[in-house]
Amino acid sequence: MTVAATTTPGAVRAAAPAGPGPRPRNRRAAGLRPWLYLLPTGAVLVPLFGYPIYMLGLLSVFDYRQAQVSGGEPARFVGFGNYAALLGDERFWSVLGQTVAFAAALVVSTLAVGAALAVVLTRAGRVPRLLLSVAAMAAWAAPAMTGSTVWMFLFDTDLGLVNQVLGIEGHNWFYDRWSAFGVVGLTVVWHSFPFVMITLYAGIQAIPGSVLEAAALDGASAWHSFWRIIVPMLRPLITIVVIQSIIWDFKIFTQIYVMTNGGGVAGQNSVLNVYAYQTAFGSSEYGLGSAIGVVMTLILLAVTLFYIRALHRSGEDL
Amino acid sequence: MSRPRPLASAVAVVAALATLFPIYWMVLSALKPAGEIQSLQVRPWTLAPTLEHFRRVLTGEDFGRYLLNSLGVALAVVALSAVTAFLAAVAVTRFRFRFRTTVLIMFLVAQMVPVEALTIPLFFLVRDLGAVVPAVGLNTLGSLVLVHLAFSLPFAIWMMRGFVAAVPEALEEAAMIDGASRPVVLWRILFPLVAPGLVATSVFSFITAWNDFVFARTFIISAQENQTLPAALLVFFKPDESDWGGIMAASTLMTVPVLVFFVAVQRRLVAGLGGAVKD
Amino acid sequence: MKILHWTAAGLALLTLAACAPSTAPAAGGGDERSGTLRVWLFDEPNRAPKEKVVGEAIREFTAANAGVQVEVAYIPTTPARHERFKGAFNDPASAPDVAEYGNTDLAEYAAAGGFADLSADLSAWSEGGDVGADLLKSATVDGKVYGLPWYVGVRALYYRTDVFDELGLEPPESMAELAETAREIRKRKPELYGLAVGGEYTFGALPFVWSAGGDIESLDSAASRKGVKAYTDLLRDDNCPPQACASLTGGKTVELFASGKAAMAILGNFNRSAVDAGAAAGKYAVVPLPGVEKGSVAPAFAGGNNLGVMRSSRHRTLAVKFLQLLGGKTYQTKMYEAMGNLPTLTSARDELAARDPFLEPFLDTVAAGTRFVPIHPAWGKIDNQKVIPTMLQKIATGQAGVEEATTEAAAAVKAAFGRS
Repeated sequence: MTVAATTTPGAVRAAAPAGPGPRPRNRRAAGLRPWLYLLPTGAVLVPLFGYPIYMLGLLSVFDYRQAQVSGGEPARFVGFGNYAALLGDERFWSVLGQTVAFAAALVVSTLAVGAALAVVLTRAGRVPRLLLSVAAMAAWAAPAMTGSTVWMFLFDTDLGLVNQVLGIEGHNWFYDRWSAFGVVGLTVVWHSFPFVMITLYAGIQAIPGSVLEAAALDGASAWHSFWRIIVPMLRPLITIVVIQSIIWDFKIFTQIYVMTNGGGVAGQNSVLNVYAYQTAFGSSEYGLGSAIGVVMTLILLAVTLFYIRALHRSGEDL
Repeated sequence: MSRPRPLASAVAVVAALATLFPIYWMVLSALKPAGEIQSLQVRPWTLAPTLEHFRRVLTGEDFGRYLLNSLGVALAVVALSAVTAFLAAVAVTRFRFRFRTTVLIMFLVAQMVPVEALTIPLFFLVRDLGAVVPAVGLNTLGSLVLVHLAFSLPFAIWMMRGFVAAVPEALEEAAMIDGASRPVVLWRILFPLVAPGLVATSVFSFITAWNDFVFARTFIISAQENQTLPAALLVFFKPDESDWGGIMAASTLMTVPVLVFFVAVQRRLVAGLGGAVKD
Repeated sequence: MKILHWTAAGLALLTLAACAPSTAPAAGGGDERSGTLRVWLFDEPNRAPKEKVVGEAIREFTAANAGVQVEVAYIPTTPARHERFKGAFNDPASAPDVAEYGNTDLAEYAAAGGFADLSADLSAWSEGGDVGADLLKSATVDGKVYGLPWYVGVRALYYRTDVFDELGLEPPESMAELAETAREIRKRKPELYGLAVGGEYTFGALPFVWSAGGDIESLDSAASRKGVKAYTDLLRDDNCPPQACASLTGGKTVELFASGKAAMAILGNFNRSAVDAGAAAGKYAVVPLPGVEKGSVAPAFAGGNNLGVMRSSRHRTLAVKFLQLLGGKTYQTKMYEAMGNLPTLTSARDELAARDPFLEPFLDTVAAGTRFVPIHPAWGKIDNQKVIPTMLQKIATGQAGVEEATTEAAAAVKAAFGRS
């Protein structure tokens, strides 16, 4: 999905470290009313979110291919057959491995850039601060699709600006696995650092100025006060930002699909989401594709559990 | 906090320019004449801006139509999700009831589901749904509205919940004492009060719908007239030589509405986020 | 009201397909005589001439059929096309009416039940008898004809006459000479690629494998490996650097040759218009692609595209009529003139062969014997999983040796046959 859509101002709320979260002070006799209010949501989410998840799991234990989909043959229950096929598939493991590694690299870079610029924001003058905020907003708002096309054009083999400036016309950035991941990674970080930056900036602003001033009076360097004061105080917020980034980077689809033309040379840049999609809709292995989807969901579920724990610790009131 | 440092200001300016550069390059390339794009002497400016790419994109490839489609889908999602999320947020903030925490956790968990993987079951689901209600079957814009509504809701509720909680309950209580009915309190008092929050939430719902690539690609099978922008953009990647001028013009058309939307509500967005931080 | 509506929709959903995954609704089909006819055609390098001829056909068709619009969508020929076609098969209600498809995909599409049986329509058609029997076979599965062969695609060796003259070279007569010539050109004119080859150009690579005595079903045999090695040896800096060429598709090699960046390329008759539109126009000639033996012709891939009517089309009569118009002699000839597409109608082909020497090397290639991909749904899977491109690319990029890559590819081919 989009960077923006997976970002959580809820996370920003959690930055309020001191005060207790807002709490329904008045515990009205609820009765059926809350359920009435939840009814429209349920009417959308149960059939269009809950049911597909159930069906994803269901499909993953069936032999469900083109012949079954187009009618003719009945879908055959194969138990964990699809999972067994996956676990025995070398390609699945390599895609899983590089998805995890790529996501990890993205999270670290996004966080480094976002945090560094958040600190810069707190120290910059008014006009530069405004300029950077607006620029970040623009990158944040740009759709993943157009971000991909622009960066592709910048790194185009023949007509790209980067090759022209570096004087390496004809260099194909998408030929080598790592440089292809590098360009895609740059695009993703460009899209996602604004969220980290703005969230952390808001968090730093919430730190009482007196704390930092006291540190400055004690002669603490910027570097020192960042690691010794800002980071510990923002730990819950950082946890949430990290987990949000993991969730988003692990699910990356559009950039890989568009920029590396569906997985790159010899499929070297494929990630799980693209792999699942192509397995299902390209190779007509709908059951197998669903099994990959289930594996992804389980991994993300584990991450989400950490997220919920982090929210709890930060004092978020559920 | 502390007084501005020149070094930090310089870094901020450089970072801002670097961040803006791809967008500048996109707009610039969209305005460059075809000859300059093809030229091996790339220049970061153009002396002969032209609208030829926009003209070609809008007339030849019918992008105007796709733009309206995308806009229609996104606005429908925004409207529906605002009302739905508002009600749900009221339910989870103003009432204590059994399973409340469970419901909340489910909204949270829903945000992490890899929705691209759900294209597989959703494809079949929407197909079967289309047999009953043709307006939301495959190939229709209705189907896109439905799935984006579903995917934007959990987050919208999560966000709205903070805004609703920020409104003092005393206001509603006072109105109730004055004899206002529940619907009146809900829609005439609470709803306007959380409007800024709704705007901020809408930005995210809008973007979810506007940016979607995978569902548009999967669901709109043969109905060209129901294409949305991200999937339609792919037509400019030609088998022989990509039409970069067209791609950049189409990308610009696709980016500008979101930018306008963001800038228009930016103040409220930041206020919303900031307010949430300070509470 | 809204709530009621949503609840009703939700309930409808739940009762639908409650347990086992569903299968496609029966292809409805219909025979409406007005409305919009949706047509899928393939996108190609230099599509404009094709679009122009198709536009003419549409004008003629809509003039003859009041109240009918024809809407054409151009589908990429990359493996992403499978996703589009699968979508159409899985939801018949959303399928187009008429579609162009590669005859290599037929077996898979027939198994999916996507296309209508046109046997009766074609035998009742005045021009139906003119379609060569062999060609009709390429549109037939289990005795049912699933389309009208629209054009034949045969590939041969395009080369730049000016470059050959300048360097004093002769067109190669064997695969070894081909490689030699390619390297010599690259050496003496480093700004040119000798022979444009692509890591994703399956049908450029297959003649090497076939000529060496190998085949798709036995990619790990000694003969196949020899062919694979001969092809991937060309994906080297001394001919076509892997940096630039490993990710090239057939379409991109057309572009390389047409724009004058390559001295030779393995292109189809249908690429003529693209080449004529580029810098290489008027400076090239075509000979059959030589085989391993000196003086022999490498077995070419006998490709071609068919026009089919989707089984679920709601405008069956109109769709068949449009297909007969576009696939009839007039428009086949026009498509030849526009794109170089070799007609499938015998009379049209004979007339063109008599007056256009351009066709000679292609017809010679056909006469020397052509080959085809396995007529089996597994081919769709092999193609979609990019088994052969992955093999070529791994070798070209040095990720694997010939032996390892071919073994892997052979296993993938075997798996595809096992699971289809």
